[in-house]
Amino acid sequence: MSTRRIVLNLLLIGILASLPAVIKKDSIINLALLVLLYVSLASSWNILGGFAGQTNLGHAAFFGLGALLTRFLWLGGWPLIPSLLAGGCVAVLFSLLIGIPAFRLRGVYFAIGTLALAQVLYIVVGNTLSDISSLPSEYLATYQLAPRYYLVLGLAILTTGTAYVLRKSRRGLGIMAVREQEDAAESLGVSALKHKLLALSISAFLAGLTGGAFAFYHVGYYPQLPFAPEFTFDAVMMTYIGGVGTVVGPVIGAVFFVVVREILALKVADMHLIVFGVLFILIVLFLPGGLVDAWSKVRRALARRAGPGKFDASPHQKGD
Amino acid sequence: MLEPLVQNLVFGVLVGALYGLAAVGLSLVFGVTKILNVAHGELLMFGGYASFWAVTLLGIDPFLSIIPAVIFLAVIGFILYKLVFSRLVKLDESVKIQNTLLVGFGLSLILQNIALRLWSADTRGITTFYSGWAVTTFGIRFPIVRVASLVIALVTLLALELFLRRTYTGKALRATVENWEAATLMGIDTQRVYMLAFVMGASLAAIAGTLVSVGYSIDPAMGLNWTLTSLIVMVLGGLGSIIGTFVGGIVLGVTQSATGFFLSQSYREVVGLVLFLLVLVLRPQGLFGAKER
Amino acid sequence: MLKLDQIDAYYGDLQALWGISLEVREGEFVALVGPNGAGKTTTLKVITGLLKPKAGNMQFGDRRLNTERAHQIVESGISLVPEGGSVFTAMSVLENLEVGAFTGKARSHKDDSLKRVFQIFPRLEERKRQRAGTLSGGERQMLAIGRALMSKPKLLLLDEPSFGLAPILVQNMFEMISEINRQGVTILLVEQNIRVALELATSAYIIENGRIVGHGTGDDLLSFEFVRSAYLA
Repeated sequence: MSTRRIVLNLLLIGILASLPAVIKKDSIINLALLVLLYVSLASSWNILGGFAGQTNLGHAAFFGLGALLTRFLWLGGWPLIPSLLAGGCVAVLFSLLIGIPAFRLRGVYFAIGTLALAQVLYIVVGNTLSDISSLPSEYLATYQLAPRYYLVLGLAILTTGTAYVLRKSRRGLGIMAVREQEDAAESLGVSALKHKLLALSISAFLAGLTGGAFAFYHVGYYPQLPFAPEFTFDAVMMTYIGGVGTVVGPVIGAVFFVVVREILALKVADMHLIVFGVLFILIVLFLPGGLVDAWSKVRRALARRAGPGKFDASPHQKGD
Repeated sequence: MLEPLVQNLVFGVLVGALYGLAAVGLSLVFGVTKILNVAHGELLMFGGYASFWAVTLLGIDPFLSIIPAVIFLAVIGFILYKLVFSRLVKLDESVKIQNTLLVGFGLSLILQNIALRLWSADTRGITTFYSGWAVTTFGIRFPIVRVASLVIALVTLLALELFLRRTYTGKALRATVENWEAATLMGIDTQRVYMLAFVMGASLAAIAGTLVSVGYSIDPAMGLNWTLTSLIVMVLGGLGSIIGTFVGGIVLGVTQSATGFFLSQSYREVVGLVLFLLVLVLRPQGLFGAKER
Repeated sequence: MLKLDQIDAYYGDLQALWGISLEVREGEFVALVGPNGAGKTTTLKVITGLLKPKAGNMQFGDRRLNTERAHQIVESGISLVPEGGSVFTAMSVLENLEVGAFTGKARSHKDDSLKRVFQIFPRLEERKRQRAGTLSGGERQMLAIGRALMSKPKLLLLDEPSFGLAPILVQNMFEMISEINRQGVTILLVEQNIRVALELATSAYIIENGRIVGHGTGDDLLSFEFVRSAYLA
């Protein structure tokens, strides 16, 4: 990353970090928190779904497991960080458990299988833990938005950073090679299964952490909620709209998602999912690179207009 | 002691017939186009609503409302295929699978939310003067509506089977299922065949949806469950066999009932999914059908 | 009847055919021979519309074939027996043949065509209710050819019909193909079994690495030194 990029990123982080200090309106902080939460959710999905090309439709399972364990431990008296890490670990363990049989499934069956599995968890949790999980009074009294915001901000940086590091690393290259041409990669000595499992566990861990943050943030919710398929589908849509397989795609997608939702909520309630659904389909059909791709196309078109001398030979994106 | 169990199983068979019908619609599309339409459940849901409104607004008999429901869904199926799915059939294998799944989910989301906006989240069902009627033999109750639904489902599938075996178009469909290239070389317009399969799949979903709305209930969120159920049955029954799929539906219905009876109601839904996962991992070709190419 | 002029074809970005030019006149028995991977199957795919050419011209009679879709090309009278036969294993022999007569005009002559096919391949009549998947390799090949004949083609394309068949069946197979030719169907035969192909053909093309490297009558090429040493040794 060029110095310019690093500075820009640090600036952005700085702005985000100082938000709670500057803006006193809770609703804005909540909104920003939601965006950052979604950034982590989408980014973590992107590692398996985008980099490794394995369309995982059971992502909510990792999110839910992380939330479940974190909430349980934290309400049980454990400090936050260990609870979060435990949540992440349980998600990873689960992912490795199902990973080996899951990756034996090809194409359609992998996606459907993961979906079915997540649904099983969703239903079972809904049946066994049907009561709402609320914060006991002492937790409620000490509830503050700012630490939650910083946690989620930190997570967003962690997930995006992990994606960035992974993408540039040798392992990341292997993972993407498996996505492109699994058999060819195997013949070059790249173990497809190992790389897929690596992507899976990273994706699961980060999703589990995000789930833990979700559990830490919400005052009261049904334990079943984070297992809901909506979380998977939202993550998938955001990633694709932003630009699947890129580092910054999920970030753009998450921002876009929440912003558009807020705008549409003002005018026509409940339309946002229809709008996103249509946008999502359009992107899958016509612009598979998402907004990131659209942006680079626009930039190249503008650069061409400006003349040959100004042509930017390295169309890198921020954080790419 | 035996009676409640048998009653339960009977209900399982009756609902299983609808599972089978729904699954055949999905299976037909998948077999011919190799596209798994994960918005199938939403098409079924729309079929249910179409019949609901046909009955409510036009006052016709619910079973007759199958006709407008089928017409409505056939048109929707046609539009969806032309606009969306036709662009996907030409793609390469792996991209095709991924993209059709994604597009399918996008569609299901859109359809679900359109239904939500149009008809609210309330659960609805069609009731008629004969909704409560039942035939009781040996202490077992057979609700007329549900028995009629089973008969209709059977008749529909029989008609489908005849169509596929006896007519030229049906043979063209079967040929395309096996080998679209060879089918093309026979002069079969595979694009038309794909379109037909899709429209037929939507129509079958419409019939199933109507039967669900008259015998059970419908709501905008029911789509995903029906898609999953259809998938489960499709895999249980094996691809390429209508009778196998129908029996698979019955098997699932009975298994669910038995689980509800012996374990608890809340695990009814789970058993199907677990069965599905087991079959996926152990026997990817299903219990009945031919091996996947 | 069929004329290919400077056809270029690609699989994605990979060029497979360079400037292919060949001609099949009515009633001829033309052979297209060459080693494995030379582009024989690709050429057939281009002719039948399964692969669109990037450059060049294809004429069948007075129709330009370049942009036509595969099933339309079949309707105009070209029929392909693909490599390996590709019969529909889940359907019966009779059903396979019926599907072969799918196009409108073929359907109206279905019964006559069936009689003709059974006359050439009596074995198929014996097995007509059997599932095609239960047939032996040779029988499947016969079925594939019979099926292609059901569309009443003017030009019949065959892709390696002898492949994988026992030698005695090979002889039989080619006799039947010659018979079909005698009955008035123009033949374009793609074969690796070069000697037999050249013996039967009235005209032949040699293709190598996606290019036509030789052309002449079957006998000429058989005696041509270059062919002998390269292929018949």
